[in-house]
Amino acid sequence: MPQTLDRRRLLATAALGGVVGATGLGSLAPEAAFAAEPATVEPGAPDPNFVEGRIGKISGHLLLVTGSDTVLHSIRITDGTSIWKLHPTTFDQVAIGDGLYARGVRLPDGTLAADSVWVNIVNLHAHIAAVGRNLLHLDHKGQRIVAHVVPGRSAAVYNGTPAISDLSLLRVGRHVQVLGAWHPDTNEIDIATVYAAA
Amino acid sequence: MIDMIAALQPLVVGAVLIWSARVKLLNRHAATVARRSALAPLLGEDRALPAYRLLGGIELSLGALLVLPPALRLENTAATALAVGFLAYLTYARRTAPTSSCGCLSSRPTPVSGRSLGRAGLLVAAAGLATLLPGGWPAALADRPLAGGAALLAEAVAVVALSPELDAAWLLPLRRLRARLTNPLRGGSGLPLLATVQQVQLSDSYRRVAPLLRSDVREHWDDGEWRFVGHAARYQGRPATAVFAVPLVDGEPEAVRVAVVDDATGQTLLALAGTGRPAGPRLDVVPA
Repeated sequence: MPQTLDRRRLLATAALGGVVGATGLGSLAPEAAFAAEPATVEPGAPDPNFVEGRIGKISGHLLLVTGSDTVLHSIRITDGTSIWKLHPTTFDQVAIGDGLYARGVRLPDGTLAADSVWVNIVNLHAHIAAVGRNLLHLDHKGQRIVAHVVPGRSAAVYNGTPAISDLSLLRVGRHVQVLGAWHPDTNEIDIATVYAAA
Repeated sequence: MIDMIAALQPLVVGAVLIWSARVKLLNRHAATVARRSALAPLLGEDRALPAYRLLGGIELSLGALLVLPPALRLENTAATALAVGFLAYLTYARRTAPTSSCGCLSSRPTPVSGRSLGRAGLLVAAAGLATLLPGGWPAALADRPLAGGAALLAEAVAVVALSPELDAAWLLPLRRLRARLTNPLRGGSGLPLLATVQQVQLSDSYRRVAPLLRSDVREHWDDGEWRFVGHAARYQGRPATAVFAVPLVDGEPEAVRVAVVDDATGQTLLALAGTGRPAGPRLDVVPA
Protein backbone atom coordinates (compact mmCIF):
# COMPACT_ATOMS: atom_id res chain seq x y z
CA MET A 1 0.00 0.00 0.00
CA PRO A 2 2.77 2.56 0.81
CA GLN A 3 4.19 1.63 -2.59
CA THR A 4 0.91 2.54 -4.25
CA LEU A 5 0.78 5.83 -2.36
CA ASP A 6 4.38 6.67 -3.28
CA ARG A 7 3.68 5.84 -6.89
CA ARG A 8 0.52 7.90 -6.93
CA ARG A 9 2.35 10.83 -5.32
CA LEU A 10 5.03 10.57 -8.01
CA LEU A 11 2.45 10.46 -10.79
CA ALA A 12 0.45 13.33 -9.31
CA THR A 13 3.57 15.48 -8.93
CA ALA A 14 4.52 14.74 -12.52
CA ALA A 15 1.08 15.68 -13.82
CA LEU A 16 0.81 18.87 -11.80
CA GLY A 17 4.47 19.84 -12.17
CA GLY A 18 6.04 21.98 -14.80
CA VAL A 19 5.82 21.43 -18.51
CA VAL A 20 8.42 19.02 -19.81
CA GLY A 21 8.91 19.22 -23.54
CA ALA A 22 9.87 16.12 -25.41
CA THR A 23 12.64 17.72 -27.39
CA GLY A 24 15.37 15.77 -25.64
CA LEU A 25 13.47 12.53 -26.06
CA GLY A 26 12.46 12.68 -29.69
CA SER A 27 9.50 13.93 -31.63
CA LEU A 28 6.19 14.59 -29.93
CA ALA A 29 4.21 14.70 -33.12
CA PRO A 30 1.38 12.13 -33.31
CA GLU A 31 2.62 11.17 -36.77
CA ALA A 32 5.80 9.78 -35.21
CA ALA A 33 3.83 7.52 -32.90
CA PHE A 34 1.55 6.30 -35.68
CA ALA A 35 4.50 5.61 -37.93
CA ALA A 36 5.85 3.22 -35.30
CA GLU A 37 2.87 0.87 -35.49
CA PRO A 38 1.49 0.26 -38.97
CA ALA A 39 -2.05 -1.04 -39.19
CA THR A 40 -1.94 -4.78 -39.78
CA VAL A 41 -5.65 -5.70 -39.93
CA GLU A 42 -7.05 -6.45 -43.36
CA PRO A 43 -10.42 -4.85 -43.99
CA GLY A 44 -13.14 -7.41 -43.28
CA ALA A 45 -10.78 -9.89 -41.61
CA PRO A 46 -11.18 -10.69 -37.91
CA ASP A 47 -9.05 -8.47 -35.73
CA PRO A 48 -6.25 -10.72 -34.41
CA ASN A 49 -5.72 -8.40 -31.47
CA PHE A 50 -9.23 -8.83 -30.08
CA VAL A 51 -10.70 -11.75 -28.13
CA GLU A 52 -14.13 -12.34 -26.62
CA GLY A 53 -15.36 -15.29 -24.62
CA ARG A 54 -15.86 -16.77 -21.18
CA ILE A 55 -13.11 -17.63 -18.75
CA GLY A 56 -12.72 -21.39 -18.27
CA LYS A 57 -9.54 -21.41 -16.27
CA ILE A 58 -7.18 -18.98 -14.55
CA SER A 59 -3.60 -20.10 -14.04
CA GLY A 60 -1.25 -17.49 -12.74
CA HIS A 61 -1.65 -14.49 -14.98
CA LEU A 62 -2.94 -16.54 -17.88
CA LEU A 63 -6.68 -16.69 -18.68
CA LEU A 64 -8.04 -19.53 -20.77
CA VAL A 65 -11.06 -18.21 -22.60
CA THR A 66 -13.61 -20.02 -24.77
CA GLY A 67 -14.91 -17.74 -27.50
CA SER A 68 -18.55 -17.76 -28.56
CA ASP A 69 -17.35 -19.57 -31.71
CA THR A 70 -15.88 -22.21 -29.30
CA VAL A 71 -12.32 -21.22 -30.23
CA LEU A 72 -9.97 -21.43 -27.25
CA HIS A 73 -7.82 -18.37 -26.53
CA SER A 74 -5.19 -17.71 -23.90
CA ILE A 75 -4.83 -14.19 -22.60
CA ARG A 76 -1.88 -12.95 -20.59
CA ILE A 77 -2.55 -10.23 -18.04
CA THR A 78 0.49 -7.97 -17.69
CA ASP A 79 1.42 -5.20 -15.28
CA GLY A 80 0.14 -2.72 -17.83
CA THR A 81 -3.25 -4.34 -18.45
CA SER A 82 -6.31 -2.31 -17.55
CA ILE A 83 -9.13 -4.42 -16.12
CA TRP A 84 -12.69 -3.16 -16.15
CA LYS A 85 -15.42 -4.89 -14.18
CA LEU A 86 -18.11 -2.24 -13.77
CA HIS A 87 -15.22 0.10 -12.93
CA PRO A 88 -11.41 -0.02 -13.28
CA THR A 89 -10.36 -2.82 -10.94
CA THR A 90 -7.64 -5.36 -10.26
CA PHE A 91 -6.89 -8.86 -11.51
CA ASP A 92 -8.04 -10.58 -8.30
CA GLN A 93 -11.63 -9.49 -9.06
CA VAL A 94 -11.70 -11.64 -12.21
CA ALA A 95 -13.39 -15.01 -11.71
CA ILE A 96 -13.92 -18.23 -13.63
CA GLY A 97 -17.20 -18.07 -15.55
CA ASP A 98 -16.89 -14.36 -16.27
CA GLY A 99 -17.28 -13.21 -19.84
CA LEU A 100 -14.78 -10.78 -21.29
CA TYR A 101 -13.67 -8.64 -24.19
CA ALA A 102 -9.90 -8.23 -24.45
CA ARG A 103 -7.68 -6.13 -26.67
CA GLY A 104 -3.92 -6.40 -26.87
CA VAL A 105 -1.04 -7.69 -28.90
CA ARG A 106 -0.58 -11.26 -30.21
CA LEU A 107 2.59 -12.90 -29.03
CA PRO A 108 4.41 -15.34 -31.34
CA ASP A 109 2.93 -18.34 -29.43
CA GLY A 110 -0.62 -17.12 -30.13
CA THR A 111 -1.24 -15.78 -26.64
CA LEU A 112 -2.87 -12.37 -26.49
CA ALA A 113 -0.90 -10.03 -24.24
CA ALA A 114 -3.80 -7.91 -23.09
CA ASP A 115 -3.67 -4.14 -22.97
CA SER A 116 -7.28 -3.81 -21.85
CA VAL A 117 -9.79 -6.34 -20.55
CA TRP A 118 -13.47 -5.59 -20.04
CA VAL A 119 -15.05 -8.25 -17.84
CA ASN A 120 -18.76 -9.10 -18.20
CA ILE A 121 -19.36 -5.93 -20.20
CA VAL A 122 -22.78 -5.68 -21.86
CA ASN A 123 -24.30 -3.02 -24.08
CA LEU A 124 -28.09 -3.16 -24.29
CA HIS A 125 -30.80 -1.20 -26.01
CA ALA A 126 -33.95 -1.61 -23.97
CA HIS A 127 -37.10 -0.01 -22.62
CA ILE A 128 -37.63 0.73 -18.97
CA ALA A 129 -40.55 -1.48 -17.92
CA ALA A 130 -40.54 -0.49 -14.26
CA VAL A 131 -38.34 1.14 -11.67
CA GLY A 132 -37.73 0.10 -8.07
CA ARG A 133 -35.43 1.32 -5.33
CA ASN A 134 -32.05 1.48 -7.11
CA LEU A 135 -33.40 -0.96 -9.69
CA LEU A 136 -34.48 -0.78 -13.32
CA HIS A 137 -36.59 -3.51 -14.88
CA LEU A 138 -35.66 -3.47 -18.55
CA ASP A 139 -37.58 -4.93 -21.44
CA HIS A 140 -34.97 -6.14 -23.93
CA LYS A 141 -36.69 -7.64 -26.98
CA GLY A 142 -39.34 -9.18 -24.75
CA GLN A 143 -36.84 -10.49 -22.22
CA ARG A 144 -36.88 -9.02 -18.75
CA ILE A 145 -33.53 -7.78 -17.44
CA VAL A 146 -32.99 -6.57 -13.90
CA ALA A 147 -30.48 -3.71 -13.84
CA HIS A 148 -29.06 -2.67 -10.49
CA VAL A 149 -28.05 0.91 -9.81
CA VAL A 150 -24.73 0.85 -7.94
CA PRO A 151 -24.50 4.02 -5.83
CA GLY A 152 -21.24 5.82 -6.45
CA ARG A 153 -20.59 3.89 -9.67
CA SER A 154 -23.60 4.15 -11.95
CA ALA A 155 -23.79 7.23 -14.12
CA ALA A 156 -26.35 8.67 -16.49
CA VAL A 157 -25.83 10.56 -19.73
CA TYR A 158 -28.90 12.57 -20.71
CA ASN A 159 -29.12 13.88 -24.28
CA GLY A 160 -25.36 13.45 -24.74
CA THR A 161 -24.45 15.96 -22.02
CA PRO A 162 -21.65 15.20 -19.50
CA ALA A 163 -22.29 12.21 -17.25
CA ILE A 164 -23.88 12.75 -13.85
CA SER A 165 -24.67 10.44 -10.94
CA ASP A 166 -28.33 11.40 -10.78
CA LEU A 167 -30.47 8.67 -12.38
CA SER A 168 -33.78 10.10 -11.21
CA LEU A 169 -34.61 11.59 -14.62
CA LEU A 170 -35.14 8.11 -16.11
CA ARG A 171 -38.79 7.49 -16.98
CA VAL A 172 -40.80 4.29 -17.19
CA GLY A 173 -41.55 3.36 -20.80
CA ARG A 174 -38.63 5.28 -22.29
CA HIS A 175 -35.87 3.81 -24.43
CA VAL A 176 -32.40 3.61 -22.89
CA GLN A 177 -28.99 2.29 -23.81
CA VAL A 178 -27.24 0.63 -20.89
CA LEU A 179 -23.57 -0.22 -20.52
CA GLY A 180 -23.09 -2.52 -17.60
CA ALA A 181 -21.56 -5.57 -16.01
CA TRP A 182 -23.46 -8.83 -16.31
CA HIS A 183 -23.91 -11.16 -13.34
CA PRO A 184 -22.85 -14.39 -15.07
CA ASP A 185 -25.65 -16.86 -15.86
CA THR A 186 -28.44 -14.58 -14.66
CA ASN A 187 -30.61 -11.92 -16.25
CA GLU A 188 -29.17 -9.29 -13.93
CA ILE A 189 -26.64 -6.56 -14.61
CA ASP A 190 -25.03 -3.71 -12.69
CA ILE A 191 -25.37 -0.38 -14.44
CA ALA A 192 -22.18 1.43 -15.42
CA THR A 193 -23.77 4.04 -17.68
CA VAL A 194 -27.30 4.57 -18.86
CA TYR A 195 -27.86 6.79 -21.89
CA ALA A 196 -31.30 8.34 -22.10
CA ALA A 197 -33.30 11.29 -23.29
CA ALA A 198 -34.59 13.59 -20.62
CA MET B 1 -75.88 -17.89 -11.75
CA ILE B 2 -73.68 -20.06 -13.93
CA ASP B 3 -76.39 -19.99 -16.62
CA MET B 4 -76.34 -16.22 -16.56
CA ILE B 5 -72.55 -16.07 -16.80
CA ALA B 6 -72.57 -18.65 -19.61
CA ALA B 7 -75.18 -16.63 -21.50
CA LEU B 8 -72.97 -13.55 -21.34
CA GLN B 9 -69.87 -15.28 -22.72
CA PRO B 10 -70.71 -14.85 -26.43
CA LEU B 11 -70.69 -11.09 -25.81
CA VAL B 12 -67.22 -11.23 -24.23
CA VAL B 13 -65.75 -13.56 -26.86
CA GLY B 14 -67.40 -11.59 -29.67
CA ALA B 15 -66.03 -8.29 -28.37
CA VAL B 16 -62.49 -9.67 -28.14
CA LEU B 17 -62.76 -11.13 -31.67
CA ILE B 18 -64.02 -7.85 -33.13
CA TRP B 19 -61.22 -5.93 -31.37
CA SER B 20 -58.70 -8.40 -32.72
CA ALA B 21 -60.18 -8.20 -36.25
CA ARG B 22 -60.01 -4.40 -36.15
CA VAL B 23 -56.21 -4.59 -35.74
CA LYS B 24 -55.87 -7.15 -38.53
CA LEU B 25 -58.13 -5.40 -41.06
CA LEU B 26 -57.90 -1.66 -40.42
CA ASN B 27 -54.40 -1.11 -39.08
CA ARG B 28 -52.05 0.68 -41.46
CA HIS B 29 -49.11 -1.38 -40.27
CA ALA B 30 -50.85 -4.75 -40.76
CA ALA B 31 -48.28 -5.87 -43.35
CA THR B 32 -45.41 -5.25 -40.94
CA VAL B 33 -47.27 -6.90 -38.09
CA ALA B 34 -47.98 -9.98 -40.21
CA ARG B 35 -44.34 -10.24 -41.24
CA ARG B 36 -43.21 -10.02 -37.60
CA SER B 37 -45.73 -12.58 -36.41
CA ALA B 38 -45.18 -16.31 -36.22
CA LEU B 39 -47.33 -16.66 -39.37
CA ALA B 40 -44.30 -15.72 -41.49
CA PRO B 41 -42.11 -18.69 -40.46
CA LEU B 42 -45.18 -20.94 -40.32
CA LEU B 43 -46.66 -20.18 -43.77
CA GLY B 44 -43.92 -18.26 -45.56
CA GLU B 45 -43.36 -14.53 -45.97
CA ASP B 46 -45.69 -14.19 -49.00
CA ARG B 47 -48.64 -15.93 -47.44
CA ALA B 48 -48.40 -14.29 -44.00
CA LEU B 49 -50.32 -11.11 -44.91
CA PRO B 50 -53.23 -12.81 -46.79
CA ALA B 51 -53.54 -15.33 -43.94
CA TYR B 52 -53.50 -12.51 -41.42
CA ARG B 53 -56.24 -10.62 -43.31
CA LEU B 54 -58.30 -13.81 -43.77
CA LEU B 55 -58.05 -14.50 -40.05
CA GLY B 56 -59.23 -10.94 -39.39
CA GLY B 57 -62.24 -11.52 -41.68
CA ILE B 58 -63.16 -14.75 -39.90
CA GLU B 59 -62.80 -13.08 -36.52
CA LEU B 60 -64.97 -10.15 -37.58
CA SER B 61 -67.80 -12.33 -38.97
CA LEU B 62 -67.76 -14.72 -36.03
CA GLY B 63 -67.53 -11.85 -33.55
CA ALA B 64 -70.53 -10.13 -35.16
CA LEU B 65 -72.54 -13.39 -35.15
CA LEU B 66 -71.77 -13.92 -31.47
CA VAL B 67 -72.66 -10.41 -30.40
CA LEU B 68 -75.83 -10.12 -32.51
CA PRO B 69 -78.85 -12.29 -31.65
CA PRO B 70 -79.99 -14.97 -32.18
CA ALA B 71 -77.73 -17.12 -30.03
CA LEU B 72 -76.92 -20.36 -31.84
CA ARG B 73 -75.00 -23.30 -30.45
CA LEU B 74 -73.17 -23.58 -33.77
CA GLU B 75 -71.55 -20.15 -33.51
CA ASN B 76 -70.42 -20.91 -29.95
CA THR B 77 -68.90 -24.16 -31.16
CA ALA B 78 -67.09 -22.32 -33.95
CA ALA B 79 -65.81 -19.75 -31.44
CA THR B 80 -64.51 -22.54 -29.19
CA ALA B 81 -62.74 -24.14 -32.15
CA LEU B 82 -61.20 -20.77 -33.09
CA ALA B 83 -60.09 -20.13 -29.49
CA VAL B 84 -58.52 -23.60 -29.26
CA GLY B 85 -56.82 -22.86 -32.58
CA PHE B 86 -55.41 -19.60 -31.17
CA LEU B 87 -54.12 -21.37 -28.08
CA ALA B 88 -52.45 -24.04 -30.22
CA TYR B 89 -50.98 -21.38 -32.54
CA LEU B 90 -49.56 -19.37 -29.65
CA THR B 91 -48.09 -22.47 -28.00
CA TYR B 92 -46.53 -23.44 -31.31
CA ALA B 93 -45.24 -19.89 -31.91
CA ARG B 94 -43.71 -19.75 -28.46
CA ARG B 95 -41.90 -23.03 -29.01
CA THR B 96 -40.68 -22.56 -32.56
CA ALA B 97 -40.44 -18.80 -33.07
CA PRO B 98 -40.03 -17.27 -29.61
CA THR B 99 -38.84 -13.93 -30.97
CA SER B 100 -41.83 -13.43 -33.25
CA SER B 101 -44.61 -11.08 -32.30
CA CYS B 102 -48.05 -12.25 -31.19
CA GLY B 103 -49.87 -9.88 -33.57
CA CYS B 104 -53.01 -10.46 -31.52
CA LEU B 105 -54.73 -7.35 -30.23
CA SER B 106 -52.40 -4.57 -31.29
CA SER B 107 -49.79 -3.65 -33.87
CA ARG B 108 -47.27 -3.11 -31.06
CA PRO B 109 -44.65 -5.88 -31.36
CA THR B 110 -45.28 -8.14 -28.41
CA PRO B 111 -43.63 -11.53 -28.00
CA VAL B 112 -45.87 -14.44 -27.06
CA SER B 113 -45.80 -14.58 -23.26
CA GLY B 114 -47.47 -16.52 -20.50
CA ARG B 115 -50.07 -13.77 -20.35
CA SER B 116 -51.01 -14.18 -24.03
CA LEU B 117 -51.42 -17.90 -23.41
CA GLY B 118 -53.54 -17.15 -20.33
CA ARG B 119 -55.78 -14.87 -22.38
CA ALA B 120 -56.19 -17.53 -25.08
CA GLY B 121 -57.02 -20.05 -22.33
CA LEU B 122 -59.62 -17.66 -20.91
CA LEU B 123 -61.24 -17.37 -24.34
CA VAL B 124 -61.33 -21.18 -24.68
CA ALA B 125 -63.00 -21.45 -21.29
CA ALA B 126 -65.49 -18.66 -22.09
CA ALA B 127 -66.41 -20.05 -25.50
CA GLY B 128 -66.57 -23.60 -24.11
CA LEU B 129 -68.92 -22.52 -21.32
CA ALA B 130 -71.17 -20.78 -23.83
CA THR B 131 -71.27 -23.93 -25.97
CA LEU B 132 -72.25 -26.12 -23.02
CA LEU B 133 -74.91 -23.76 -21.65
CA PRO B 134 -76.20 -21.66 -24.55
CA GLY B 135 -78.44 -18.68 -23.91
CA GLY B 136 -79.20 -15.21 -25.20
CA TRP B 137 -77.16 -12.44 -23.56
CA PRO B 138 -79.74 -9.59 -23.89
CA ALA B 139 -82.27 -11.56 -21.88
CA ALA B 140 -79.72 -12.63 -19.28
CA LEU B 141 -78.50 -9.06 -18.85
CA ALA B 142 -82.06 -7.74 -18.59
CA ASP B 143 -82.88 -10.33 -15.88
CA ARG B 144 -79.96 -9.48 -13.59
CA PRO B 145 -78.38 -6.24 -14.82
CA LEU B 146 -76.21 -5.65 -11.76
CA ALA B 147 -74.66 -9.12 -11.45
CA GLY B 148 -74.37 -9.43 -15.21
CA GLY B 149 -72.65 -6.06 -15.50
CA ALA B 150 -70.22 -7.02 -12.74
CA ALA B 151 -69.40 -10.33 -14.45
CA LEU B 152 -68.79 -8.57 -17.78
CA LEU B 153 -66.62 -5.95 -16.10
CA ALA B 154 -64.57 -8.62 -14.30
CA GLU B 155 -63.97 -10.47 -17.56
CA ALA B 156 -63.06 -7.30 -19.41
CA VAL B 157 -60.57 -6.47 -16.66
CA ALA B 158 -59.13 -9.99 -16.92
CA VAL B 159 -58.72 -9.71 -20.70
CA VAL B 160 -57.04 -6.30 -20.43
CA ALA B 161 -54.79 -7.48 -17.60
CA LEU B 162 -53.72 -10.50 -19.66
CA SER B 163 -52.91 -8.37 -22.73
CA PRO B 164 -49.27 -7.24 -22.82
CA GLU B 165 -50.18 -5.09 -25.86
CA LEU B 166 -52.38 -2.86 -23.72
CA ASP B 167 -49.80 -2.28 -20.97
CA ALA B 168 -48.81 1.07 -22.43
CA ALA B 169 -52.36 2.31 -21.89
CA TRP B 170 -52.71 1.50 -18.20
CA LEU B 171 -49.78 -0.34 -16.61
CA LEU B 172 -46.98 2.04 -17.62
CA PRO B 173 -48.89 5.18 -16.52
CA LEU B 174 -49.52 3.48 -13.16
CA ARG B 175 -45.83 2.63 -12.81
CA ARG B 176 -44.89 6.17 -13.86
CA LEU B 177 -47.20 7.53 -11.20
CA ARG B 178 -45.69 5.26 -8.56
CA ALA B 179 -42.17 6.33 -9.59
CA ARG B 180 -43.20 9.98 -9.36
CA LEU B 181 -44.64 9.47 -5.89
CA THR B 182 -41.84 7.33 -4.43
CA ASN B 183 -38.88 8.61 -6.56
CA PRO B 184 -36.94 5.34 -6.16
CA LEU B 185 -33.88 6.44 -8.17
CA ARG B 186 -33.11 9.54 -6.11
CA GLY B 187 -29.90 9.95 -4.21
CA GLY B 188 -27.15 9.77 -6.86
CA SER B 189 -24.42 12.23 -6.02
CA GLY B 190 -20.76 12.84 -6.69
CA LEU B 191 -18.85 13.21 -9.93
CA PRO B 192 -18.88 9.91 -11.83
CA LEU B 193 -15.63 8.65 -13.34
CA LEU B 194 -17.24 8.76 -16.79
CA ALA B 195 -17.65 12.54 -16.53
CA THR B 196 -13.90 12.84 -15.87
CA VAL B 197 -13.06 10.46 -18.72
CA GLN B 198 -15.31 12.43 -21.08
CA GLN B 199 -13.55 15.64 -20.04
CA VAL B 200 -10.15 14.01 -20.60
CA GLN B 201 -11.11 12.70 -24.02
CA LEU B 202 -12.24 16.13 -25.19
CA SER B 203 -9.01 17.76 -24.05
CA ASP B 204 -6.10 18.91 -26.13
CA SER B 205 -3.73 17.06 -23.77
CA TYR B 206 -5.45 13.75 -24.55
CA ARG B 207 -5.41 14.41 -28.26
CA ARG B 208 -1.66 14.92 -28.15
CA VAL B 209 -0.76 11.82 -26.12
CA ALA B 210 -3.52 9.49 -27.37
CA PRO B 211 -1.21 7.64 -29.80
CA LEU B 212 0.99 6.68 -26.86
CA LEU B 213 -1.84 5.14 -24.80
CA ARG B 214 -2.03 1.36 -24.69
CA SER B 215 -4.84 0.61 -22.25
CA ASP B 216 -8.18 1.78 -20.98
CA VAL B 217 -8.32 3.48 -17.56
CA ARG B 218 -6.15 1.42 -15.19
CA GLU B 219 -6.58 3.37 -12.00
CA HIS B 220 -8.04 6.60 -10.73
CA TRP B 221 -7.96 8.46 -7.46
CA ASP B 222 -8.98 11.79 -6.01
CA ASP B 223 -6.54 14.01 -4.18
CA GLY B 224 -7.62 17.42 -2.98
CA GLU B 225 -9.19 19.33 -5.85
CA TRP B 226 -7.86 16.96 -8.49
CA ARG B 227 -8.86 13.61 -9.89
CA PHE B 228 -6.07 11.54 -11.44
CA VAL B 229 -6.69 8.99 -14.19
CA GLY B 230 -3.89 6.58 -15.18
CA HIS B 231 -3.48 4.70 -18.45
CA ALA B 232 -0.71 2.34 -19.48
CA ALA B 233 1.37 3.95 -22.22
CA ARG B 234 4.40 3.17 -24.32
CA TYR B 235 6.89 5.90 -25.08
CA GLN B 236 9.61 5.06 -27.60
CA GLY B 237 9.42 1.40 -26.66
CA ARG B 238 9.53 2.04 -22.92
CA PRO B 239 6.60 1.04 -20.71
CA ALA B 240 5.20 4.17 -19.14
CA THR B 241 2.15 5.51 -17.35
CA ALA B 242 0.15 8.39 -18.72
CA VAL B 243 -1.53 10.19 -15.86
CA PHE B 244 -4.16 12.85 -16.48
CA ALA B 245 -4.89 15.42 -13.80
CA VAL B 246 -8.44 16.76 -13.97
CA PRO B 247 -9.74 19.50 -11.67
CA LEU B 248 -12.86 18.31 -9.83
CA VAL B 249 -14.51 21.73 -9.93
CA ASP B 250 -13.66 22.82 -13.48
CA GLY B 251 -15.40 20.90 -16.25
CA GLU B 252 -13.47 22.57 -19.08
CA PRO B 253 -11.39 20.17 -21.22
CA GLU B 254 -8.68 22.85 -21.44
CA ALA B 255 -7.95 22.45 -17.73
CA VAL B 256 -6.77 18.82 -18.14
CA ARG B 257 -3.03 18.27 -17.63
CA VAL B 258 -1.07 15.15 -18.46
CA ALA B 259 2.29 13.60 -17.65
CA VAL B 260 3.92 10.49 -19.11
CA VAL B 261 6.11 8.81 -16.51
CA ASP B 262 8.62 6.04 -17.18
CA ASP B 263 7.53 2.92 -15.25
CA ALA B 264 11.10 1.73 -14.60
CA THR B 265 12.87 4.94 -13.62
CA GLY B 266 10.02 7.18 -12.46
CA GLN B 267 11.35 9.88 -14.78
CA THR B 268 8.82 12.30 -16.24
CA LEU B 269 9.13 11.81 -19.99
CA LEU B 270 6.59 14.38 -20.99
CA ALA B 271 4.27 16.80 -19.24
CA LEU B 272 1.69 19.06 -20.80
CA ALA B 273 -0.38 21.69 -19.06
CA GLY B 274 -3.76 22.63 -20.42
CA THR B 275 -3.32 24.97 -23.34
CA GLY B 276 -6.26 27.16 -22.51
CA ARG B 277 -7.18 27.31 -26.16
CA PRO B 278 -7.14 24.81 -28.99
CA ALA B 279 -3.88 24.34 -30.80
CA GLY B 280 -3.68 24.80 -34.54
CA PRO B 281 -4.23 27.70 -36.89
CA ARG B 282 -6.49 30.41 -35.62
CA LEU B 283 -8.38 32.95 -37.63
CA ASP B 284 -8.20 36.36 -36.04
CA VAL B 285 -10.79 38.77 -37.34
CA VAL B 286 -9.56 42.32 -37.04
CA PRO B 287 -12.11 45.09 -37.42
CA ALA B 288 -11.26 47.25 -40.37
